Amino acid sequence: MENIMEVAGLKKSFGKNIAIKDVSFEVKKGEVFGLLGPSGSGKTTTIKILTGELSKTAGKVTVLGMDSSQIGTADFKSKVGILSDNSSLYERLTIYDNLKLFCKLYRAPLQQIDVLLREVNLHEERMKTVSKLSKGMKQRVLLAKALIHKPKLVFLDEPTSALDPGNMAHIHRGLLKLNEAGTTIFLTTHNMEEANSLCDRVAFLHEGEIVELDDPDELRYKHSTHDFHIETYEGERLVIKNTPDNADRIKELIVYNRVKSMQTDKPTLGQVFLKVTGEELV
Amino acid sequence: MNIQRISAIFEKDIKDFMKNMMLLMMPLIPIVLALLYKQMSNGEEFPIYFLYLNVGIAYSSVTSTCMMTMMAEENEKKTLRGLIQSPASMVDILVGKSLVVGLITFVSLTVSLAIIGSDPLLNGKAILALILLFLFFLFLGIGIGLFSKSISATSAYTMPVMLLFGFTPILGSLQLDEDGIIMTITDTFPIMQAIELHEKSSWVPLGIIAGWVLAAALFMYICFKKTMTDD
Repeated sequence: MENIMEVAGLKKSFGKNIAIKDVSFEVKKGEVFGLLGPSGSGKTTTIKILTGELSKTAGKVTVLGMDSSQIGTADFKSKVGILSDNSSLYERLTIYDNLKLFCKLYRAPLQQIDVLLREVNLHEERMKTVSKLSKGMKQRVLLAKALIHKPKLVFLDEPTSALDPGNMAHIHRGLLKLNEAGTTIFLTTHNMEEANSLCDRVAFLHEGEIVELDDPDELRYKHSTHDFHIETYEGERLVIKNTPDNADRIKELIVYNRVKSMQTDKPTLGQVFLKVTGEELV
Repeated sequence: MNIQRISAIFEKDIKDFMKNMMLLMMPLIPIVLALLYKQMSNGEEFPIYFLYLNVGIAYSSVTSTCMMTMMAEENEKKTLRGLIQSPASMVDILVGKSLVVGLITFVSLTVSLAIIGSDPLLNGKAILALILLFLFFLFLGIGIGLFSKSISATSAYTMPVMLLFGFTPILGSLQLDEDGIIMTITDTFPIMQAIELHEKSSWVPLGIIAGWVLAAALFMYICFKKTMTDD
């Protein structure tokens, strides 16, 4: 599959403080790529460099076939959508007026406003002033704003951080639908469930370096002990190593109908991150 | 420059302006002061420096202060970054906003000059000077708005701009030493040069005002460039 983004040997420092040491990865066209890491790991800095909000110290960055000198041009901006911590809305204006402005700036049809507001579950509130919205509602409007021009590539920095579980699920469905329509999504998150349900591949960013990069299921399998976790009808919880030596023991439990539940060990992405970095994702 | 994008920014800013009580009060200042002067004048004609005092008040309190507040608010609330991330160029953004401030300034200045009299300003050179002065105050407002980063911080710059550049003609009525350092320096200020235009046939005062415009434009450009990225 064709790469929509290529990053090689990316470095960024602010004076003596090194934010990104050496980051390299590719994002394939049409995939959902997640950059995972705790606060301060360099996720936002990476997104800012990829969108032209920050300059890099060293390395090579190509996005949508454009190199660093072309990132930030009107052509680039018309092809990408961005939802970052720098995104904001005009508080005195209505939701509709906010989106109308960006519709016109991107030369998108105004009908797109209604389509997107239905997607983010805010169509009935379209004439509400932004200052009267909750944080979660604002986040959904910002997401609609980032998608107003049907971008080829979307950068989402912690897109569901302020949302309740119901709205988060709604947004996830919308993002998957967007992805099915061909939009590539690059997202940063520290929500492991979100990464697991949305991402085709994830990269773990730790202290400015990528320490793992793979399909979430592959990562969980790779870092699994493969032990059997068995709960018996007697209430016993057994952990049995997945080795040929233990075959008879497991067979015996099954034959004597003692197994209430049995599963192989599969750590969550959060547990994998903890195992790889020694640090929790918060 | 893209007309569609400029008109989108203009439309948004006009709506936002009309809902901002603080900004809505600003254009009333020159009009209220003009009414007060008119009351006190007993029907006498106003001296030329007085007309320019009104121009200075309109430009500093409406053009500069409104623009400063609008830009600082965009900067503080990060909405400017949204505009920068869109395909709108720096020129589209600034022209769209300037048209709003230009329109409000035009209404405020026209009404206030209609009250105190505008005949001496209705000649080619004076109109050119008024346009250049508008640009100077506009660029200064944009630059300071971007530089100050928050609305509250702009208040620290509003008074110096008004006193130094807007109220400069008052110095003429204070009867200070003509050759003193204060008068020598302030005589080169834009509004004082516009007044001098009525006393001389030379084009030099217009050149000096144009120099101030260029300096303000450079200041604005540097501030905007710094706002474009997080570097």
